[in-house]
Amino acid sequence: MEKKYCVYICKGCGIKEAMDVDKLSGAAKKVQNFKIHDVLCSPEGVQLIKDDMAKDGINTIIIAACSPRVKAAEFTFPGALVERVNIREFVAWTMEPNTDETNDAAYDYLTMGIVKSQKSDLAEPNILPDLTSTILVVGGGIAGMTAALSAAGAGQKVVLVEKDAQLGGFVNKLYKKIPTGSYINKPLIVDTDISKTVSEVESNPNIKVYKSTTVSKTDGQPGLYDVTLSNNETVKIGAIVMASGWKPYDANKLDYLGYGKMKNVVTNFELEEIAKKNNGKLLRPSDGKPALKVAFIQCAGQRDPNHLAYCSSMCCATSLKQSQYVRQNEDALAMIFYKDIRTPGRTELYYKEAQNNPGVMLTKADVTGVSDAGNGNMFVEMENTLFGTTTGEKVKIEADLVVLATGMVPTSRAPQEYADGLTAAAGLGDEAKKNYLEQTPKPDYILNLGYRQGPEIPTLEGASGFADSNFICFQYETRRTGIYAAGSVHQPMNMAEAQEDAAGAAFKAIQVIDHVSRGVAVHPRAWDTTYPDPLLIKCTACKRCTEECPFGAIDEDEKGIPNYNINRCRRCGTCMGACPERIVSFKDYSVDIVGSMLKAIDVPDDEDIFRIACLVCENDSYPALDTAAIVGKKIDPSVRFVSMRCLGGMNLVWVADALSKGIDGMLLLGCKFGENYQCHFVKGSELANTRFSKVSETLNRLQLESGRVELMQIAINEYDKLPDMINEFVEKVKEFGPNPFKSM
Amino acid sequence: MADATIIKPDLQFVKEIIKGGGESLKKCYQCATCSVVCNVTPEGNPFPRKEMVLAQWGQKDELLASPDIWLCHQCSDCTAYCPRGAKPGEVLNAVRKQSIKQVALVPFLSKIATDPKFIWLLFAIPMVLFYLIMPYRDVSMVPLLNGKMSYSNFMPVWPQVDATFMLTAAFAAFSALVGIKRLWATMAARSGAKGTGSPIGHVIPAVTTILAHKKFADCDVNRLRQWGHLLLFYSFAGLAVVTTVAIVYLYGWKFFGIQAFGSFNFGKSPYPNNDPMKILALVSSVAFAAGFIILLVNRLVKAGKAGLGGYFDWVFLLIVGGVGATGMLAWALRLQEMTAGYWVYYFHLVFVWTLFMYAPYSKFAHLFYRTTAMAFARYTGRDTK
Repeated sequence: MEKKYCVYICKGCGIKEAMDVDKLSGAAKKVQNFKIHDVLCSPEGVQLIKDDMAKDGINTIIIAACSPRVKAAEFTFPGALVERVNIREFVAWTMEPNTDETNDAAYDYLTMGIVKSQKSDLAEPNILPDLTSTILVVGGGIAGMTAALSAAGAGQKVVLVEKDAQLGGFVNKLYKKIPTGSYINKPLIVDTDISKTVSEVESNPNIKVYKSTTVSKTDGQPGLYDVTLSNNETVKIGAIVMASGWKPYDANKLDYLGYGKMKNVVTNFELEEIAKKNNGKLLRPSDGKPALKVAFIQCAGQRDPNHLAYCSSMCCATSLKQSQYVRQNEDALAMIFYKDIRTPGRTELYYKEAQNNPGVMLTKADVTGVSDAGNGNMFVEMENTLFGTTTGEKVKIEADLVVLATGMVPTSRAPQEYADGLTAAAGLGDEAKKNYLEQTPKPDYILNLGYRQGPEIPTLEGASGFADSNFICFQYETRRTGIYAAGSVHQPMNMAEAQEDAAGAAFKAIQVIDHVSRGVAVHPRAWDTTYPDPLLIKCTACKRCTEECPFGAIDEDEKGIPNYNINRCRRCGTCMGACPERIVSFKDYSVDIVGSMLKAIDVPDDEDIFRIACLVCENDSYPALDTAAIVGKKIDPSVRFVSMRCLGGMNLVWVADALSKGIDGMLLLGCKFGENYQCHFVKGSELANTRFSKVSETLNRLQLESGRVELMQIAINEYDKLPDMINEFVEKVKEFGPNPFKSM
Repeated sequence: MADATIIKPDLQFVKEIIKGGGESLKKCYQCATCSVVCNVTPEGNPFPRKEMVLAQWGQKDELLASPDIWLCHQCSDCTAYCPRGAKPGEVLNAVRKQSIKQVALVPFLSKIATDPKFIWLLFAIPMVLFYLIMPYRDVSMVPLLNGKMSYSNFMPVWPQVDATFMLTAAFAAFSALVGIKRLWATMAARSGAKGTGSPIGHVIPAVTTILAHKKFADCDVNRLRQWGHLLLFYSFAGLAVVTTVAIVYLYGWKFFGIQAFGSFNFGKSPYPNNDPMKILALVSSVAFAAGFIILLVNRLVKAGKAGLGGYFDWVFLLIVGGVGATGMLAWALRLQEMTAGYWVYYFHLVFVWTLFMYAPYSKFAHLFYRTTAMAFARYTGRDTK
């Protein structure tokens, strides 16, 4: 495509009041065509551009106006390369109006934009051939069945794989359930009606059900998965909903609560079985007599770092439900001992109603143990209650059946623990790793991914093995594009929540299929048609990109040459920053493009005028800067911002490029480190910091102070602090004095 | 763990509290908002949160042996601020009802006084009693006194009125004494705390507190109640003085031959309206009416925040209101020489007798037991204010 450029400068929103627009056109003259408009986003302004495209064949459009984060609909011109230059937020709204510095800044931004458009190419979507749209749902419990029905209802073909001989999951084991419809507490216990859902799934023509089946292997990428089942059948799959659910915590580890020692100490799951078997009657395991004094011990292992560090969220409501089983016998008492009753959302209404029964007694207590009281009865021993004559004294209450409200362990936990163990062993050396592989039993894998980075979904640090997402922005995402976790493998949740979660995950699966069919990335760059295009001839098989990709998008062959699975990629550019050979580039984003933009900054010879280059992450820092501009914060006019998809794409050569040209300082703004912050691209900022640790070598080579380059962590909501942090950095650089390379 | 106290849940007692005006009991979820807003919560004891959980588990012995349930003046701050509508003030009132029943000399009388099933019996007994002892069932036959209506001619002071009331008062006083003794013993046994000084020595400051209505002043939500109760309290005191002096008037003249002097009248009632005792009686009656109306209106207006109360409260209000209404109406009818006044007076006697008879068995018992508990709380250092 032969590029035909035109620069459009907007005068609206305070731009013409803040700068000399005619002077700015001096920069625009570099590409010959330029136009100035009063309000470029107005229908007339947009029409002006469209007319130029039609009449003059303009196909490379540089718009110097507002932030690219706004007016996206107005400034979208299919078939043209559009470069947005942010002279409104970065210049007009944050700098003193009509000073030389302000005019210089606008000039630099426009020049950088022109350079970028010159170096970029119009992206062609990369649509892979032979895509399939079938959705695989792993797990046939309430979440899996709901996901299958949701996807099938939207017209999608679904393959549902269940490892048990029948569908229904844990709900099959329940005697009654908490109502999941509009009325959560009227009545308090209802039939599960799971058979209705099961037959709905089994009779749905869009759903193919495999029972007593597991997934042996998952190869490929969104739209192109080859999934091998345990029956050796291979199915073509477009996207995956992982609804493999949970297992109850192993109560044998709770011997201090009498489990395994006394027959009449059972878990909440065993109580369901007892109730189901005896049609609601709670008969004691030891002698089959009806239980009349039933003690429920909440948090049996949960919220205890020695057992399960988290709250399973459903056990309080479950015990309240089971207390209603007890009270079906008017003479029987249900006694609930809790640390805190946790009934989030609508389950609070359930709590209120279930509690409103004289024979359902609740007290806060620290249960210290369960002891034998003879005749198959037990004493529940506790302290810190309000019983007794002295505050907090030890008391005990007799029960003829003790129910331990044990919690949920996600099926994703065992694979994660195995992987963590392997990493730890590998850290100790090859011998330890070999021993670990030989001696540690293999966990039950769920997906068996044939990915370079491992067979399962990596779970977040601190998520206790749940396949949880980057929940700040994206509810259902895992770190494997096209695979969405739903139900209690995702987070601890109850049936109603699992159903909502499953519907959401099903629609995310449909969305990814749609996106790959158009060659567009999924979140957060859900419009992006560019993709990493490595020049593999120059690859040295160093494996850095395959290791650092936050989404496991890159596999490698036997020689270590990477294979980019584009449909797994989210276009963050971490691979671009990882590659020591600088061979990974996108059509509008490469080491050369960013480097050229930095070099386009005009560095005056005047020693009193400083120039600071600032690389900003587009997900946190860039919006924070826009917000700072909106609220009227002022930023030093010596700073020039360059947007990065993720700081993980940072290449050290840029530091050398900028500083050797005379730029006085460089600031890198990334998001917060660590998985607790959960940035869009997971680890980019942290990786940038690792690379940044080598920046002092570069600076030493240039004989410059290491303080001239700094990396800062910024969250999107820190827009109020950010301008001051930048201004302070500028002051610090000014103290070092001008860059000696300036006049060279 | 052998030394751990065994706690026994008592579903029956929970049901009794719920039935007896504590129907909101089960709504409590132990957040302790009540303990934060309550002005009589002691250090280190989350009152009334603790009482709420004890009541939910039917911990009868523990609850009824605690002076705390009586220290509560039901100002209803807790009820107003409770996020769950558990109405701790109302629940404690229901617990106090159980306490009255527990220490009662004749528990059945407590049942008559507090159980709606027995409301017919509550009034039937005095109605039959006074009907049987009245000399003239045809009121047109009642002789006039100095040409005017006289209630002492309708129902002779001796032996009908005085003998009945002296016996009733003596029984009520004995019941109250037994109740006080039982309550003290229960509290002492449970608390185990060593008291300081003589128990009697603590009665006086307790009574002073009551006379000044200091505890009511701690109330935030229900401030008006202090004035209503104060008026009612002192009108009762005034009427007690009037009754005592009336006895002196009557028997002083009869037995000791004391003559009327100044405006003090000795002899048979009725007394003229300028008699100091008559004036005190009238002033007390007005205070009585005012106090009663304040309490009644306050209760209805604050029902949303403080709760409407149960039968236990309302039957007591009915008796107190009945005494006042019939008393004042009887006086007015007498001045008008309307013989219907005789029947009103008859009902006045019925209400007054009910009030006396059931004083230690109805809500009126708070007069004795709250005083006792306040003295006990001072004695054991639970309350020093």
